[in-house]
Amino acid sequence: MSDRDTLWNPYSPLGARERRMLGVGAVLFVLAAWAVVSATELVGPNRLPAPWSVAHALIVLAWDGEQQRSLLLTATAWSLMRVLCAGLLVIAIGLPIGVLMGAAPRINAALSPLIDPFRSAPVVALLPILVMWLGIGEWMKIVFLFIGAVVYLIPMVRDAMQAVPQAYWVSARDIGATPWECIRQSVLPIAMPRIFDGVIVAVSVMWTYITVAEYINAQEGLGQLIQNARRFSAMDQVFAGIIVIMALALISYQLMRYARQRMYPWETAQ
Amino acid sequence: MNAAVTPPAAPVSLKLANIVQDYPAPGGSGTNRVVEDVSLAYEGPGINMLLGPSGCGKSTLLRMMGGVRPNEVPTPTTGLIEIDGKRCDGAHEDVVTVFQRYANRPDLSVFENVAMPFRFKLWRERVDRAEATKRVRETIAAVGLSDKERMLPAQLSGGQNQRVALARALVLQPRILLMDEPFAALDAQTRGDMQELLVGLFTRQPCLVVFVTHDVTEAMVLGDRVTVLSSQPGRIADDFRIDAARPRSELWLRSTEGVAMQQRILTQLHQSAGHGRVAVSV
Repeated sequence: MSDRDTLWNPYSPLGARERRMLGVGAVLFVLAAWAVVSATELVGPNRLPAPWSVAHALIVLAWDGEQQRSLLLTATAWSLMRVLCAGLLVIAIGLPIGVLMGAAPRINAALSPLIDPFRSAPVVALLPILVMWLGIGEWMKIVFLFIGAVVYLIPMVRDAMQAVPQAYWVSARDIGATPWECIRQSVLPIAMPRIFDGVIVAVSVMWTYITVAEYINAQEGLGQLIQNARRFSAMDQVFAGIIVIMALALISYQLMRYARQRMYPWETAQ
Repeated sequence: MNAAVTPPAAPVSLKLANIVQDYPAPGGSGTNRVVEDVSLAYEGPGINMLLGPSGCGKSTLLRMMGGVRPNEVPTPTTGLIEIDGKRCDGAHEDVVTVFQRYANRPDLSVFENVAMPFRFKLWRERVDRAEATKRVRETIAAVGLSDKERMLPAQLSGGQNQRVALARALVLQPRILLMDEPFAALDAQTRGDMQELLVGLFTRQPCLVVFVTHDVTEAMVLGDRVTVLSSQPGRIADDFRIDAARPRSELWLRSTEGVAMQQRILTQLHQSAGHGRVAVSV
């Protein structure tokens, strides 16, 4: 087998070590290129701060010795709380709606024209409306995150339910289950791993919206931190804030992936 | 030895009278006739084979007997189904079906899958917990999976999974057991084992079995009675009894009687207008 055969083969297995090396290598390459561009001042620090400036900004944000406080920690805690609150709302409201839509084609037919368009609509455009309805307080931010994420979760829950083979439903009906017992005992448990995927997507979406949510009148939070830094043209802090948000999103994603594997080990074994 | 399923107390009968079934034609107007004027009467315990090519409406007939309407099309279009002389439309608790797709829940163990019906109100009210657990244990033993009670379906072979599905049906001690090509997806060796298992279970606890297959050999090996259906629309082409004792050996299949019977079935199938395929695996 030539190298070309293993390179252009979507199914060729890749060792964990090689995969990690390729990933780390790519990140290091981008960092090196960034360092070169900054060191040679190919792009000025006003447009692109040097990697070491960003690293310095991260350290300063993480611990401000003069004021004896960590701006980053407080901001992260606030943003995390908002994502958490909105996430609980998304699950508490989005999950049952998605289950109902997946369980009854009539409910799906009625609700999907109300929900599906929001997936491609600019949810950001709703922000001014939310400000008029809910003011500029905490509720507005949480409701904004909620709307942004729930419109992804609901269709994914519905699709997960509909993807369960009919054989399960038929066989449960045959041994005397009521329709709701079929859904509760056959369809829902089998749909759970894919429903969990929907929750993972919803949380990822909230991390992308957190900066927008904290755009207006936030006293604390990562979005506010970035917004504030931009006002003072502190590009290094803007970059630092973005990196922290990306890192948080990545960590929560990996944690949820791990939880999914632990909760539904049978799903990958199928 | 403890029987997992007690022999049926009352005699059982299942009757189909002048069954006609139309389905909406795919892609719009009109209907397709799938079953044309089928009348059948089953009386007492026995293994009754419904044999025919794909698309002859044999599964449709079986679904009617089980009262399962997966696509909400009214079944039958005209005609009457009677169980113990009483008109029956819709699910009936004396009737349980084993499907080709065994539909075991992947997150539950063999034990929990077999105990599945007792999660439903209908059976929870009829069978108390202790009795249910006892029945589940015994039925799992009867299908030969005692050592695999704690395993998940993904750890089992196709044949073992089908044993789980069979146990889930038998645990309800049905008076009528419907089987919809249950072994069609299995390899020849496993299929043979499963046929042997079914004959063994039936001998110990006879009930009224209606078994749908497109496999001539399977029909001959298992059936007390074989009903041959022609296809499109399904009509009864032939209907006869097999009196030879089970288990029926390879030798019997190759005997003058066996070969003549096989010839008779194949002639009927070829005469019928359908173009479906029939498997002969002798």
